[in-house]
Amino acid sequence: MSFDPSLYIQYGPALLNGFLYTVLSLALANPLAILVGLVIALLQSLSLPPLRWACRSYIHFIRGTPLLIQLFLLYYCGPTVGVRLDALTAGVLGLGANGGAYFAEIFRAGFESIPKGQVEAARMLGLTPWQVLTRVKLPQMLVLITPPSVNQVIIIVKETAILSILTVPELTKAAIRMVGETSAIIEPYVALAAAFWLLVEATSRLGRRLERRVARHL
Amino acid sequence: MTAAPAPIIRVEHLFKRFGALEVLRDVSLTVARSEVLCVIGPSGSGKSTLLRAIAFLEPYSTGRIYIEDTLLGFVEQNGKLVPDRPRNIDRTRRHLGMVFQQFNLWPHMTTLRNVSEALVLVKRIARGAAEETARTMLAKVGLADKADTYPSRLSGGQQQRVAIARALAMEPQVLLFDEPTSSLDPELVGEVLQVMKQLAAEGMTMIVVTHEMGFAAEVADRVLFMDAGAIVEHGPANQLFRTPHSERLKQFLQTWKERNLIGL
Amino acid sequence: MLDFTEVLPYAWPLLIGAGMTLVVSGAAIVLGMAVGLLLSIGALTGHPVMRRLIAAYISFFRGTPLLVQLLISFYFLPALLGINVPPLVSAVGTLALNTSAFQAEIYRGGFLALPHGQFEAARMLGIGVWQARRRILIPQVMRLVLPPLTNEATSILKSSSLVSVVAVTELMRVSEQAVSITFRATEFYVTAALIYLVLTSLLAWIGKRFELQLARSV
Repeated sequence: MSFDPSLYIQYGPALLNGFLYTVLSLALANPLAILVGLVIALLQSLSLPPLRWACRSYIHFIRGTPLLIQLFLLYYCGPTVGVRLDALTAGVLGLGANGGAYFAEIFRAGFESIPKGQVEAARMLGLTPWQVLTRVKLPQMLVLITPPSVNQVIIIVKETAILSILTVPELTKAAIRMVGETSAIIEPYVALAAAFWLLVEATSRLGRRLERRVARHL
Repeated sequence: MTAAPAPIIRVEHLFKRFGALEVLRDVSLTVARSEVLCVIGPSGSGKSTLLRAIAFLEPYSTGRIYIEDTLLGFVEQNGKLVPDRPRNIDRTRRHLGMVFQQFNLWPHMTTLRNVSEALVLVKRIARGAAEETARTMLAKVGLADKADTYPSRLSGGQQQRVAIARALAMEPQVLLFDEPTSSLDPELVGEVLQVMKQLAAEGMTMIVVTHEMGFAAEVADRVLFMDAGAIVEHGPANQLFRTPHSERLKQFLQTWKERNLIGL
Repeated sequence: MLDFTEVLPYAWPLLIGAGMTLVVSGAAIVLGMAVGLLLSIGALTGHPVMRRLIAAYISFFRGTPLLVQLLISFYFLPALLGINVPPLVSAVGTLALNTSAFQAEIYRGGFLALPHGQFEAARMLGIGVWQARRRILIPQVMRLVLPPLTNEATSILKSSSLVSVVAVTELMRVSEQAVSITFRATEFYVTAALIYLVLTSLLAWIGKRFELQLARSV
């Protein structure tokens, strides 16, 4: 088995391009997932049974089926309902919708951890529900939800690889193309594994720093 | 006068260090067959550490411990002490049994299974025969009717008695007790001490680390008083309690008396 | 127009695909359990060198996407080892190694949560180290970690959909093949999603039953 570093010079641009698509995907998917999760968690907390049922069914579906199927449903079945999504859009939406269900559960646990008395006291003092959310609930939840949230972000980072199956030209796809065109196997996959490992490590480190910052005021 | 029989346990110049902290300092003692030795002292005096060193639950730093004349935990190699293999340690340790402060019964097994398990696994006794022995042991501690109960459904005193039965089932020569009643509600202490008194009367060799001065005064042959990792005073029980020599021991007994008088 | 009757002729292949999904996931979970237990024990009690190796192993399998791991083992390893590995074997093997890393962390947490005195009592009674682990520690750890373990098992069940990419004909691949013939993407992917839902719900139910069963005997 030989290792030919010159291949990297040749395929550097292609791999870099793929890497940028990976970063783009995760940069779009993560905020979307957090937003979706927050919305679902808030909707669930309202005492409206039909709404809660809808949210729980959604979460149950997402958690009970593979991400791949969910992406396929968005990408290949969109046309049936008149929506034609390109691969990247379908991919990001899929990751966001999927991640959103998991974030919703994380936020739900966070909301439930706040003693009711705090909310009651705040309301008695005249704070509006929005103020209660932003000034009382969220700041306290942060310590509890940060570690599992960082974990979920890492999961989404790794899941961007699955987008290659939808033909999104991200890093995995670029590596596969490189294998196909050069018949080299070690070089592409080493680059692929190393790149993801770095992304995950970086996210972990940032996450730990975030955890420390959030815990500072307690 | 006939020569005294060889002591069953010999501890010689024992030191235990945790990094820079010296937890046991030059501790030496012997324990004779059928002797009941109580170790008393304030918290942090090293009494539990000494007992755990004899049980070799943690290795000691320097010194020697002999169980039935066999060096425990180490082998002599070119004049230096080298850690021994777990199997040899187990073999030396089979003369000992231990009863823990936290009972340490296995929650996923019934009482009967707790007591018989080691017989099956270690002595390779058939399960039927092992369970017979286990029932006898449970009867001995007064818990024959709890054989099929799980530990979580027993009171603290009952759990500790099961723990004693479990240790007894393996027929040790010496029973080590590490503050056996410290985790118990006051009303439950008596039933455990009762079992221990019975064992002492039957001639079991016992080393008991305890805060129960009444028990020590009544049952112990000899008492060791430890403070800050060293043995400060030792001697026959009635002598030590009635006429303590060292200031430290006098102070310790005085504090204990005051606290317990107030308790009344 | 949606026509679910087009799915019926494929009922049998779909069911066989679902069976293969169960076989692949089941084998991976069981193998992963054995390896994961050993790894966690090694990580807690082993030689410092072993501990570092185990940490690196866990870091690799948790820090890179499963898809990348599957691709590496499918394309890379046969070339490296020079032998022809059947796709099923490499897929199950990779899944098993992947889950073993996640399970190792789960078991490690379980062992750390057990009171150390249990082990000491066993050792004082003369029970050997490995015997004590097998009879005393592991049964209790399993009780403790059943919830996260069920989660991980469900995750593997869903991740098994990715082995469709490395030529294993499980449920996902059967669906894709059916779609390529009939072009009925929505019908088939919805059906597949429903089958996955049934499988994951079944797994969750089994997990719950186990939890209740074990809780009763303590």
